[in-house]
Amino acid sequence: MPEPVLELQGLEVRYGSVPAVRGLSLEVGNGEIVGLIGPNGAGKSTTLHAIMGAVPAHAGDVRLHGRSIRGRPPERIARAGVALVPEGRRIFSDFTVEENLRLGLAGRRKRNGADPLQQAYDLFPVLHEFRRRSAGALSGGQQQQLAIGRALVAEPEVLLLDEPSLGLAPMAVDAVFEALRQIREREVTILLVEQRALHTVALADRTHVLAGGELRLTLGPADAANKDKIIAAYLA
Amino acid sequence: MIVAALDFQTVSDAVATGAVYALMAVGIGLVFGVLRLVNFSYGQLIMAGAYTLAFTSGWPVWASVSTCFAVVIAISLAMELTVFRPLRGQSPAVMLVTTFAIAFLLQAVALIVDLRNDFIGEVATSISALNEAITVGGVEIRKVTIVAIGAAIVALVLLALLLTRTTIGLHTRAAAADFRTARLLGVRVNRVIMFTVVLSGVLAAAVAVILTVQVPLVSPDFALHDTIIVLVGVVVGGLDRLWTATLGGFAIGFASGMINGALPTDNTVYLPSVLFGIVILVLLLRPAGLFSWGRRASAERV
Amino acid sequence: MRRYVEGAVQLLGPVALVVVVGILSTTVSSANRIYFLNALVSVAMVVAIYVFVGNSGVLSFGQISFVAVGAFAAGVMTVPLDSKKGVLTELFPLLRDHSIGNIPSLLLAAGIGGLFALVVGLPLMRLSGLAAGIATFALLEITHNILQQWTKIGPGATTLSLVPQTTGAWQATLGALVAIAGAFAYQRSRLGRQLRASREDPAAAQGIGVDVHRQRLWAFTFSGALAGFAGALSVHLLGSITTDQVYLELTFLTLAMLVFGGLTSLWGAVVGALAISGLDSFLGQAEQGVHIGFKLDLPTGSRLVFLAAIMALVLILRPSGLTGGGEFRIPGLRRAGPREEAPAPPA
Repeated sequence: MPEPVLELQGLEVRYGSVPAVRGLSLEVGNGEIVGLIGPNGAGKSTTLHAIMGAVPAHAGDVRLHGRSIRGRPPERIARAGVALVPEGRRIFSDFTVEENLRLGLAGRRKRNGADPLQQAYDLFPVLHEFRRRSAGALSGGQQQQLAIGRALVAEPEVLLLDEPSLGLAPMAVDAVFEALRQIREREVTILLVEQRALHTVALADRTHVLAGGELRLTLGPADAANKDKIIAAYLA
Repeated sequence: MIVAALDFQTVSDAVATGAVYALMAVGIGLVFGVLRLVNFSYGQLIMAGAYTLAFTSGWPVWASVSTCFAVVIAISLAMELTVFRPLRGQSPAVMLVTTFAIAFLLQAVALIVDLRNDFIGEVATSISALNEAITVGGVEIRKVTIVAIGAAIVALVLLALLLTRTTIGLHTRAAAADFRTARLLGVRVNRVIMFTVVLSGVLAAAVAVILTVQVPLVSPDFALHDTIIVLVGVVVGGLDRLWTATLGGFAIGFASGMINGALPTDNTVYLPSVLFGIVILVLLLRPAGLFSWGRRASAERV
Repeated sequence: MRRYVEGAVQLLGPVALVVVVGILSTTVSSANRIYFLNALVSVAMVVAIYVFVGNSGVLSFGQISFVAVGAFAAGVMTVPLDSKKGVLTELFPLLRDHSIGNIPSLLLAAGIGGLFALVVGLPLMRLSGLAAGIATFALLEITHNILQQWTKIGPGATTLSLVPQTTGAWQATLGALVAIAGAFAYQRSRLGRQLRASREDPAAAQGIGVDVHRQRLWAFTFSGALAGFAGALSVHLLGSITTDQVYLELTFLTLAMLVFGGLTSLWGAVVGALAISGLDSFLGQAEQGVHIGFKLDLPTGSRLVFLAAIMALVLILRPSGLTGGGEFRIPGLRRAGPREEAPAPPA
């Protein structure tokens, strides 16, 4: 396995006295895609929010390149090289497409190199075409591309995605997963939270099944053909 | 009954009041947008600026005015650091009542400072030359009326450019639209908040300059009533967007200017009731704000 | 059984506090008595505001309208007939030619306050959040404007004087207790509990069949009645009143008392009213020079500075108020079903 970029060690998150994530440990290596699947309420989104510092971790640690980032505010974690594509896309619908992308620059550390906006436009040409339009006028699939593009202009080392295929038409879902394949080629490390188990298992280097805030099972790409195993993992 | 008062002087004065209230609305709306805090003590920033102008009346105008800006910005920043920041995330009621307390605190301090010479009120005279009237096209108009309207327009245009053309402006608009997501994207929210607080201080100082020309007598409750009216105006206009809040401020300023210009008769004494009756009616019909016409895709949050 | 014990304990704190202040008021000089009685009348007012604001979670700047209406109704109707005809000449004949006693005037004030609240609450209670705050503020402005201008129903912009000063230690104490008992009975009733459920989560409350608009209207009406009653207590304490005394300053002061004590509990309302009143009186004395082990002599005008600073400080350090927003309980006595507040999970 490549050297781990992102590590969770015994992560615990609680809402009041209700545990949402219980002792979760996992690693994402350089250039890997790691999937995180599981039923609603399994603690997947909470895990991502805890990595970003948007909810406090009760115990355990979050490490980036071996250095703890636990307890830092979200904007500092973003600027340390972790970008989140949040659930529901969370684009700024009153802003233009280009303004949304420029907001992504807020999390960028490097100040040199290729124009990051152009890189996003190369990946998603439709964003370039509509760059002067209001983002709210885009279709759902295009908005998802914008959300991913906005995360990419920060040129992150780690990309966290929270259910990027949620609410999209089948064709748009395929486009999202195709984009993730292309992003992997750029050596971006990806932690992908998804409901579409088959798609995810097929794409990811490893896919962890989360239930009740705990890691239940780990699947490899070879398991993609074995639907029964995936279904059994959900029901376990 | 309002028609009777439709002479040019009254209308231009009402427009000037509307312009000043629009500036105050922007100052209040900016802070609300980013912090979700209705700052009741905004009027005391203006009051502090007005006292600064009064105490520096003997100075050259530029020195007096820049001291006013410096003092108001400093108090504005101090408010953010000592009051707003610890209150972040608290319920609106707690934040509002705390700013009441700050308003009363600043007023009480002003009263003690003011009473050193044993009578209440100080006079700001350094730029009262603007109060003279000039004749434009056969009608008399006070210079300050023109200055107020001009200054408001310039300030609003500059602000719009700042918010739409600069990175910090983009970040500010993003924090106002969705604070949480802006943070997740790496927007340094404390910097944005400081920027917002300074901007609202700048606007308060500008309002202090204009108001002291119109009303040179400064007392501890200076701008208190104006602030209350503007708070009503911004909510009626729609506090969720800056431009609707600004329009709300202008509208209520214009309306109260017209009411004040109306000759007192048996009926006009009830004009405030009419105005506030309209306020209630508007809120019942459009609780999100008079000017919030749905979520139009092209609407820029300026 | 446990429910009743728990309830009795909750009521014990506010009642004991009010009774102690009432008794103390009889032991001090008549010059100082006014401070204690004023504090008790403040308790009645703040409890009245609490009935709506605390139980519904909707901020209102309009409750002092009902205090004003109650105060002027009770005041105008109790000025002795022979002096009334000479002073309040422009009144409607019905008001000018009749006078009533102390107790009827308290009941009248409560009735008018409640009726007024019911009528304006019908449309206003559809609003919530900032819109509700501003609309109720507009109500205050309208009430003030009309009371100040319409000389057929009151003294207009002049001072209403010659009102019998019937609010002594007994009436102030009992009045505050009536307000507390009423508020307590309401919040334990089915109506009160439904409204409090809607405060925590309006959507969920509606889901289980709570008519939020109607519940808020009941609370608003009852709050209006108690506020009118408190206004009557106040006018009978002072003997005279102007419209400016029941306007902005009183609105901010009473709301500050409520938030200072703890917005969401009756105990908070009582503690807040007494704490701020007490602090205010003490600082007022200190400006004159007072002995508390050493001689404390504050410069003139510093009373308001200290009062505002202490208020701001407490709110910044303890935003849930002095009482933390809970009801009175005896430490060590077990409560039934402790609840823990959980932050909402991310969307």
